[in-house]
Amino acid sequence: MSVASSLSRTLNSCSASVDGSGLRILVAEDNEPDRMILRSLLQKLGHRVFEASNGAEAVARFNSVNPDIVLLDAMMPALDGIEAARQIKALAGERLVPLIFLTALSDPEELARCLEAGGDDFLVKPFNRVILEAKLNALDRMRLLHQALSEQVDQMRHQNEQMLAEQKTARRVFDNVAHAGCLSAPNIRYHASPMSVFNGDVLFAAIRPGGGSLIFLGDFTGHGLPAAIGAMPVAEIFYGMVGQGFGAADILREINRKLRRILPVGMFCCGAMIETDSRQGLVRAWNGGLPDAWLLRTTGERVAIPSRNLPLGVRDPERFTTPMVVFQTTPGDHVLLMTDGFSETPNRHGQLLGESGVREILAGLDSPAGAFDALMTRIREFTGQPEAADDLTLCSLEIPDMEQPRAPVCKVPDSGPAGPADWQCVYEIRERTLAQFNPLPLLLHICMEVPGLRSRSGEVYTLLSELYNNALEHGVLALSSDWKSSPRGFALYYQERQRRLSDTNGHFIRFSLSHESRSSGGRLRIVCEDSGAGFDFTDHSDRVSKRRSGLGSYYAGRGLELLRHMATHFHVHGRGNHVEIVYDWELPEDRSDD
Amino acid sequence: MTDQPHLDEEALAELQDVMEDEFEVLIHTFVADARTRIDTLRKALRNSDSDYLTRTAHSFKGSCINMGAPCLGELCSEVERKGKSGDLTAVASLIERIESEFIEVARRLEHFLTL
Amino acid sequence: MPIETHRTDDGETLVIRVEGRFDFSTHQAFRDAYEQTDGPVTRYVVDLSDTTYLDSSALGMLLLLRDHAGGDSARISIENCNSDVRRILSISNFEQLFSIG
Repeated sequence: MSVASSLSRTLNSCSASVDGSGLRILVAEDNEPDRMILRSLLQKLGHRVFEASNGAEAVARFNSVNPDIVLLDAMMPALDGIEAARQIKALAGERLVPLIFLTALSDPEELARCLEAGGDDFLVKPFNRVILEAKLNALDRMRLLHQALSEQVDQMRHQNEQMLAEQKTARRVFDNVAHAGCLSAPNIRYHASPMSVFNGDVLFAAIRPGGGSLIFLGDFTGHGLPAAIGAMPVAEIFYGMVGQGFGAADILREINRKLRRILPVGMFCCGAMIETDSRQGLVRAWNGGLPDAWLLRTTGERVAIPSRNLPLGVRDPERFTTPMVVFQTTPGDHVLLMTDGFSETPNRHGQLLGESGVREILAGLDSPAGAFDALMTRIREFTGQPEAADDLTLCSLEIPDMEQPRAPVCKVPDSGPAGPADWQCVYEIRERTLAQFNPLPLLLHICMEVPGLRSRSGEVYTLLSELYNNALEHGVLALSSDWKSSPRGFALYYQERQRRLSDTNGHFIRFSLSHESRSSGGRLRIVCEDSGAGFDFTDHSDRVSKRRSGLGSYYAGRGLELLRHMATHFHVHGRGNHVEIVYDWELPEDRSDD
Repeated sequence: MTDQPHLDEEALAELQDVMEDEFEVLIHTFVADARTRIDTLRKALRNSDSDYLTRTAHSFKGSCINMGAPCLGELCSEVERKGKSGDLTAVASLIERIESEFIEVARRLEHFLTL
Repeated sequence: MPIETHRTDDGETLVIRVEGRFDFSTHQAFRDAYEQTDGPVTRYVVDLSDTTYLDSSALGMLLLLRDHAGGDSARISIENCNSDVRRILSISNFEQLFSIG
């Protein structure tokens, strides 16, 4: 239950215990008549009374009596009341056992000593029933509150320990994924937050098969487990695709697609990707949502690489673009990436270092190589704590000399299956299904299982779609594109298309898809056959080429243009109802050395 | 020296209400206790034990207050002060006055019991 | 609504927005958009910021619009294309006929 509700329950039961069941009260008073009076008073109030006639006896009986409240005469023989109080409080330990001093006069010095000894209240003689009752009530309430709070604290402490243990475990898994790859390469320096805390930052680095490196810094929204969950699929994508030779743009696209799909709305990943091309001395950079990244040249020039894109996981895949900013670099230049922990960690007074603070530090550098240390030192100074660097990630990449030997093979996490590369299938729709079902999404999906085709989904879809529309409209429905030569005709064409769809008996369209992998890419073959009478492609292509000579009024023929243009090979068999296209695709070049 | 009443009858009545059946026992306990206290005071004075004197007077004072014997209580308070300061010169006569005051209080208490 | 139209403040330009897939199913609505206007239009803007895909029949529809708008003297710009859409337009050399941005 919540702390609040258990405490209020306790408060409500407070009055019950004092009125109802009665408290166990230990009375230590050496004066017999006084003791008698107290005993009667307390019993009349419904409490159980235990008596001691001096301080030593009170202390000795304390553990066995286990009272709820203690009434103690301040001045007693054989262990002064004050000292007895101290000892009783010590015996009570963490429990709160309220202690009321019985005193005959209000001598401030004596009262002060009583308080110092741990007294919680006073009861002045003559004993007054009303006052006594009020004090007992108040102190008992205090006692019960204290008890409830202690229990809550214990419970919370236990739960907290459990949670920390779980987080630690999850954190280990996370760290195997999140900060891996080639971060140990000699030209990379980084600071990522220590084990004790999740902060949603990921830092990946890998050497590309063709030389050069790829670094990705990501900062997931939120903290803790939810932020960390995004890291794993992103790591798989990053390392899987780098290994296959993909570059920054393709990998970013895939990461965006994945995050868009799995993250709830409102969660996303601010990120930056740096791709170095050692052969050409280039750096390509993309920044979506992180603070400025920096290119620090050995000449002293500092180039900011600001965020010009939406973070990952926000944009729909179709609308996601990856414009890369390109820079020339020379060996000794450094690229710096950082998360907003840098500018947004406050100092003791709540001030932030800010991007201006970062700029200042960079402006004061002697050489780019000092940037990493200068920034780390400054942030620690600024906040005054060594652990201030808990919530930030900083990475510095030095552009190496070309002659430097390649870094040793890095350990990358297993990336799982790469996707089908060699396969074929046939998919045929017939009869009524022709009118009722559009096979294109399914066919596209099959093709998209090939990782290399994912970045080409637009083209592949266009190929499938144009083939299909031709087969359906010109083949099965036997519509003539001549109709589309005028606005009215255009409208009629589609009206007629609708009408003819109501009778597709005896017809079919068959797609045969196959894919084979090649040395650095793959070949997709699409064959589309239909049951129509075919149509004259040659006649058609003549018309299309006529269009080129002038800006004519042909509204048809676009489809074939697209097919011809996008496909590597385009072939029409037989009557025209059997069209075959070959679509070759290549991985970005590995640039193997000559 | 004091113009306090010998007995606060109102307080006593309240005490009677609280103690119910035990009221008489209380009175007798007090009276017996008081006698012992006075003897102790004398003994302490004879031994010039100001500490013991102070504590006894303090304790006696307490029960006087509870019993509603303010004048007696005030006298005990005097003895307590003297004992604390270490000046035992006037204590002897104070104790005598306590003795006579006590006799008066005891008489009145007995009378109260018959009411 | 797959098609949305509005005029610019100066009243001279008609903006036609196509949402989602721009294919043959859109043809009637697209045609209505530019045929059923009150008052003359000097410029057309086809806004494809929310258009995910464009097929060859859409190309035909754009040509129809061009025809309606005066053919060679038409002033039509096609704006906010995503990369796939842009590619299709460029394969078909539509930048020779339209201003593409």
